[in-house]
Amino acid sequence: MKFDLETVLFISLSVLSVVSAIYMITRKNPINSALFLILNFFTVSGLYLLLKAQFIAIIQVLVYMGAIMVLFIFVIMLLNLQFQKKKLESYSYKSLTSILLAIMLFGILGYTVYFGFEGKFKGMSDKALEIGTAEKLGAELFTNYSFPFELASFLLLAAIVGAIVLAKKKFE
Amino acid sequence: MIEINYYLLVSAVLFSIGVIGVLVRRNAIIIFMCIELMLNSINLTLVAFSSFLGNINGQIFVFIVMTVAAAEAAIGLAIIISMFRNKESLNIDEINILKW
Amino acid sequence: MLESYIPIIIIIVIAVIFGIVNVFFSSLFGPKRPNKEKLSTYESGIEPIGTAHERFSVKFYMVAVLFILFDIEVVFLYPWAAAFINLESAKMLYSFISVSVFIVILLIGYIYVIKKGALKWD
Repeated sequence: MKFDLETVLFISLSVLSVVSAIYMITRKNPINSALFLILNFFTVSGLYLLLKAQFIAIIQVLVYMGAIMVLFIFVIMLLNLQFQKKKLESYSYKSLTSILLAIMLFGILGYTVYFGFEGKFKGMSDKALEIGTAEKLGAELFTNYSFPFELASFLLLAAIVGAIVLAKKKFE
Repeated sequence: MIEINYYLLVSAVLFSIGVIGVLVRRNAIIIFMCIELMLNSINLTLVAFSSFLGNINGQIFVFIVMTVAAAEAAIGLAIIISMFRNKESLNIDEINILKW
Repeated sequence: MLESYIPIIIIIVIAVIFGIVNVFFSSLFGPKRPNKEKLSTYESGIEPIGTAHERFSVKFYMVAVLFILFDIEVVFLYPWAAAFINLESAKMLYSFISVSVFIVILLIGYIYVIKKGALKWD
């Protein structure tokens, strides 16, 4: 493996994303978790750029980091869990079992994807740069995929109605 | 040139970390964030295959998954808020009325 | 392709280094003479009332939720705007109709929001 720009970026981004994910699940304060999750989304967006999916990378920053995480942080501040910090987490033999199970899951997944696709592709496709642009994505989305697109609007409508019905009561 | 299996390995690691978070943590908001992390790792897999196969369908999928994630975040957090109103707690072990 | 992102990488690295260096060196060289007035919370010169960890109102949540959902709508319009001019005329009309249906469906949601008064601030 030779150390060109792509390799260096890939290694640093993936290490940073894994480290931030581990930090995210181990922080006590939900605000810290949310901030590490934002860092993780940022590094994954960098990985999208390495995969030449520019539009998806920008959408990741715009939608995930800009909107969804803001909502998470608002909810954490809305509920303000300072007063019940003491007895929120309890660890038992169940936690140990679930960690073991998750590591086994990682064994299966990692073995399959690492050895199953080793040398299957001779590098990235030549079309990779072309299909990552907004033009190509739009041309495909609004002609061949217009039905899922309309369904997405129904999903958003349902989410608007549901969020208002669930949250629109006097809070205090 | 990075091979595809390295991207898939990173995605598998992120997915497994998300699984550990969902199973171990008891705070409903953090569990929800772990679900977002898992969705994100799957998106990484889809984009990796899309780029290596030269097929745009994977990126369309990612687009739709992001829409679903946004709708899910809106509704899920509204559910968490109303759960907190009723129970004054976010510990999912205390939300056990439906458990038989 | 990756080479064209080098300026962005450089600017990210410079921004991170700038932030770290500023915070680190000012804490290293700056004089520290704290007193009670300096350590109290700055609230525009008024005596602080309560803590900063007040519980927020649910109105902020409503605005954030509606922002996300309409943000997604706008994100769907970007690729359409980029692709529209290069489509064939039949596909142009088709995509125009499908986007119009999309916007009308979300407009129904918007009218519902306004009628319910979810964006009212009082």
